[in-house]
Amino acid sequence: MPDFNAKKVAEIHQHLHSHLPSESALRVKALETLLVDKGLVNPQTIDAWIEAYTEEIGPKRGARVVAKAWCDADFKHRLLQDAPAAIDELDYLGKATAHLKVVENTEQVHNLVVCTLCSCYPFSILGIAPAWYKAAAYRSRAVRDPRGVLAEFGVDIDADVEIRVWDSTAELRYLVLPQRPAGTENMSEDELAGLVTRNSMIGTDRDLSKA
Amino acid sequence: MDGIHDLGGKQGYGPIDIDDDGTPFHHEWEGREWGIAQCARTPGITIDWWRHCRELILPIDYLGRPYFDSWAQTDFSTYIEAGWMSLDEVDAGKSLADPPASGGPPPAMTLQQVLEEDRAHAHRYDAEIEALPDYSVGQQIRTVKLGHVGHTRLPQYARGRLGTIHAYHGAHVFPDLSAKGEETYQPLYSVMFEAAELWPEAQYSKDKVYLDLWESYLMEPRA
Repeated sequence: MPDFNAKKVAEIHQHLHSHLPSESALRVKALETLLVDKGLVNPQTIDAWIEAYTEEIGPKRGARVVAKAWCDADFKHRLLQDAPAAIDELDYLGKATAHLKVVENTEQVHNLVVCTLCSCYPFSILGIAPAWYKAAAYRSRAVRDPRGVLAEFGVDIDADVEIRVWDSTAELRYLVLPQRPAGTENMSEDELAGLVTRNSMIGTDRDLSKA
Repeated sequence: MDGIHDLGGKQGYGPIDIDDDGTPFHHEWEGREWGIAQCARTPGITIDWWRHCRELILPIDYLGRPYFDSWAQTDFSTYIEAGWMSLDEVDAGKSLADPPASGGPPPAMTLQQVLEEDRAHAHRYDAEIEALPDYSVGQQIRTVKLGHVGHTRLPQYARGRLGTIHAYHGAHVFPDLSAKGEETYQPLYSVMFEAAELWPEAQYSKDKVYLDLWESYLMEPRA
């Protein structure tokens, strides 16, 4: 059982700073070796988790949710009212999405998601977060300079469009519902899902008609 | 704690490296650490305690090492603090327990079992409580001015600021105490802040920042 002793943990970090191997790969190897040696994890289960988040769980799930919301007004309504239940219809409910909220882009509103305190992310529908989402530059600037951040992603937001930044400070997780591009009325749900970028579901992409 | 992790609004981190090829892991060790974090279970550890242990990483390591590397270091620290492994064992690179492992490793899980496990990771953090929420949607509040030495989810940039209750989420586990192993619940709100209330350079901005904040982070606006 943990003692929840923060002072002790600070001392442990001091020790680990100078005693662990210098390369990330070797540090993780040391952790896995010790955990396996102690009978706490099975390396084949680690393999299965890697496969799950490489082949099965990723932003394709989020894109399916968005495309379904574009095609099915009732589903969109349920998604905006109770996102966990709605994504459960597609069997996508899972890690970090039990308190999912979907925020909708409109002509007047653009939504942007960040976690300034750690790197909270809706894993079971977007998979592993991109490196920039977890980096200090994005985490520090998204809440303060969202227009500058978006410009670096090649997204220019008109001055009359309101930006809403969602800082994931609790166990709620946010998914942006981007606008359906014009001229896609005849596209199937599958084709529409192909237009939806991961960044558009985080908010660092907006106009999906350019794809 | 007022640690290096509390990055919102801090300046000097430069442009964002937006390049990303869309692959989940860019090095094999990143995937290994992801998998370790998913299947490792230590009784009594809360998500908030784990987050606090990550916040306690030395600033030079927190900022200077890759993301999943900090997960590995956090795992080390939580295991060691809880007595599941020792610093001597870390230095030796192997278990020094005698007898070594009891019963060998847990059984291997298949991809299908892991996908079911991911479904089971849809943890809910809310609960019914008797107390009614103090604030209502549309009401103006002020956030408390000071943080404290432990774990908290009220970032520095949003302390002592005026905001408006945007939504009520019900009662959720209070992270400041959960990081000490105490499971208590408090009303949780979505609170909207005008960018102009947070940042001097945003005086004429119409943009907004929303945070999810627990009731004890909030007070009456004139208090």
